[in-house]
Amino acid sequence: MSANRRVVITGVGVITSIGMDAAAFWDGLARGACGVRTIKAFDPSPLATRFAGEIDGFDPKKYLSKEGRKQIRVMARSIQLAVASAQLAIDDGKVDKSKLDPTRFGVEYGAGLIPSELTELGEASYLATGKATHPVDVRAWGEKIRETIQPLWMLKYLPNMLACHVSILHDAQGPNNSITESDAASLLALGEATRILRRNQADFFLVGGADSKINPLSQARQQVFGRLSRNNEDPVHALKPFDKRRDGLVIGEGGCTLVTEELEHAQKRGASIVAEVAGFGSSFDRGLTGKGLARAIRFALGQAGITPNDIDHVNAQGLGSPDLDAFEARAINEVFGTAVPVWTIKPNIGHLGAGSGVTELAGSLLAMKHGTLPGTLNYETPDPACPIQVQTKARAIGKPYFVKVGFTEMGQCAAVVCKKW
Amino acid sequence: MRKRVVVTGMGAVTPLGQSVKELYENQIQGKSGVDFIHNFDATTFPTKFAAELKGFELGRFVKDLSRWKHAGPNARFAAAASMQALQDANALEGTSIDRTRFGVYLGCGEGIQDFPQMSKLIGASYNPENRSIRSDIFIKEAISTFDAPEEYEQEMHTTPGHLAGHFDLEGPNYNCLTACAASSQAIGEATEMIRQGEADMMLSGGSHSMIHPFGITGFNLLTALSQNNANPKKASRPFDLNRDGFVIGEGAGMLVLEELEHARKRGARIYGEITGYGSTADAFRLTDSHEEGRGAIACIKGAVDDSGLPLDAIGYINAHGTSTHVNDFTETLAIKKVFGERAYKIPVSSSKSMVGHLIAAAGAVELITSIMTILNGVIPPTINYETPDPDCDLDYVPNVAREAKVDHVLSNSFGFGGQNVSLIVSRFRD
Repeated sequence: MSANRRVVITGVGVITSIGMDAAAFWDGLARGACGVRTIKAFDPSPLATRFAGEIDGFDPKKYLSKEGRKQIRVMARSIQLAVASAQLAIDDGKVDKSKLDPTRFGVEYGAGLIPSELTELGEASYLATGKATHPVDVRAWGEKIRETIQPLWMLKYLPNMLACHVSILHDAQGPNNSITESDAASLLALGEATRILRRNQADFFLVGGADSKINPLSQARQQVFGRLSRNNEDPVHALKPFDKRRDGLVIGEGGCTLVTEELEHAQKRGASIVAEVAGFGSSFDRGLTGKGLARAIRFALGQAGITPNDIDHVNAQGLGSPDLDAFEARAINEVFGTAVPVWTIKPNIGHLGAGSGVTELAGSLLAMKHGTLPGTLNYETPDPACPIQVQTKARAIGKPYFVKVGFTEMGQCAAVVCKKW
Repeated sequence: MRKRVVVTGMGAVTPLGQSVKELYENQIQGKSGVDFIHNFDATTFPTKFAAELKGFELGRFVKDLSRWKHAGPNARFAAAASMQALQDANALEGTSIDRTRFGVYLGCGEGIQDFPQMSKLIGASYNPENRSIRSDIFIKEAISTFDAPEEYEQEMHTTPGHLAGHFDLEGPNYNCLTACAASSQAIGEATEMIRQGEADMMLSGGSHSMIHPFGITGFNLLTALSQNNANPKKASRPFDLNRDGFVIGEGAGMLVLEELEHARKRGARIYGEITGYGSTADAFRLTDSHEEGRGAIACIKGAVDDSGLPLDAIGYINAHGTSTHVNDFTETLAIKKVFGERAYKIPVSSSKSMVGHLIAAAGAVELITSIMTILNGVIPPTINYETPDPDCDLDYVPNVAREAKVDHVLSNSFGFGGQNVSLIVSRFRD
């Protein structure tokens, strides 16, 4: 039986608005950098929220071979971010792919809804609708699709394409899955990849998440959802997790891929081990009472065989949402009281949606590696509705474990416990 | 010994019936659920037909409709099939089951975009002269047009979230979307969660509808759909020489998976056991499966290894059998590679010849058919099989159902983009 197989993290590839690889990302966190600013990708002036954690100068070509570059035209931005972070993880983990068994090499990503680029449907829509006042003519659309829309259009936007492209680029023939569970997606993917490695169905994994909502359609949708901060005057200070003055989310974009592998496999190839994935738990918190999220955290602690006292810090979701921060704080308080410091990097990079969990977890991995926990930005006024100890100043790492928490506004929860190696 | 996982409840809403019993009875009679599309006016599309769910009313299955008011077809189909499965398993809220140990793992598709609304918004902001979008116009119009609840229901976590909320399932909650392999993968991974002790029970399966203008557009552009508009009921013809693409279907299939001792303790009826799960990737090309069936072979082998059964034990293969040229060729090749000479003696049939291809939901519905085959001793046929293809030379149970005692069924699902999943379901034995 394979119950004793241990899973370790041996590579980190991360692309965010504060850094385009693990070193730059860590440098940004350590400096307290913030990548949130007015949107440049398109004219945001009609939006109530006109800022986001947008990545400047991302060029997917830099991360792809000549062969891989041909595929960029069928990769939406979320997919490009995933494949770029996968290459960075391979580089960071000093992985010699020629020495891997492709059939024991798995890939798993958390992915969000990927909207079509509007121009790709422009001509067909125009022909079907004529002027805006006319009713839509689906017959005219049907007649014109072959002339007006490129053949591979749909493939560019399927959520499984993050993992598919990565598997093709790296010849990963093992298990391949795409978790589409919104803000909890990439932590659930990490949990599942860990489960697969433990049960001996693979030895090596690329696991992560990537998401970009910085486009006109996604931003219009976010606005009608009504959860975003509208502090256009001061974007850098807009996202205030757990602070009494918090007034909403700030969207960011980016992606992160981790190399995870079975311990002996990592040791055999002489990998530099960053941390062990020691525990994982997931749940559904019906009614967002906090009990369900607390249960996921306790399950992860139990699997790691530790108690709340062993935890250096909680890496929180910290959305900056009035109600959801209170929910998260209730759960953290239920498990840890106010004794354990809580850190969140959302104010640095914004909310990465399906990519958020693993990207934020990478922050704690790097903090463990460097021995310092940076402070949470923009936290000034404590809120009695959030009875937790938010870490605001940098401090030395004191204990070997951290827990990363993630959840959706519907109640899907995940918690991952990692141990410094 | 690892924990054993059994099936204690099943539910389905499909183009061939809105219960498991009705679906299976129609399948063994060789009926087709395919017809011209009614969901929208498809008369000018390259493909004008599909297997639609006819006369579906969620109110027949679920009393309190408030949660489902804005929900799209995926969520509504899922709710109906889940209610059947949970009732069947005697596992609704109010029974003595620990709800925190009862999770959800779906392979459910994305919600449907409002086609008239979206094409109108894009059309109104399009400048045909320079072929570009005025994003400022688009944003202004979109903000004033979008209905927040309707937009929200497009998100892929809403269906598993609604099911967990409605039926009080507070354990792990997952959704995966690996194209046509999704619900099989969901069932495989849900089985592993129970085996590894993360839950006692999982509601698992899939739900999907892509019978809308964007969906048909996407698949037509990829030339994946049959265009046999002259004879829709004959269009889905897996393994036949004259096959020309798959026929899209819609619906949902749900199973209650349960740890064996847990099922025994509460006296649950056991329909079958999930004994094998294999999962691989082709890692080959976006649009084609590997020519020699590399991923499919490894996946079938993986499932057999996982089950601990000898190869000879497999008595029936419920094929992925999409009716596309490439899949049916590659799948046949893979079956022959794995089973050798015995491949010719194993009945292989494709449910998709009758119910169409339910995309993310396909695998779950086909696993239910596989379980019904074990329980009833009748293998459903591959209909529309008329002209043998020299490259597809197995026993496809052509056109007429066949009586046979089957103890172990292999069910294949291969997703667009290269994800392969095989499940083995077995007659339950103590």
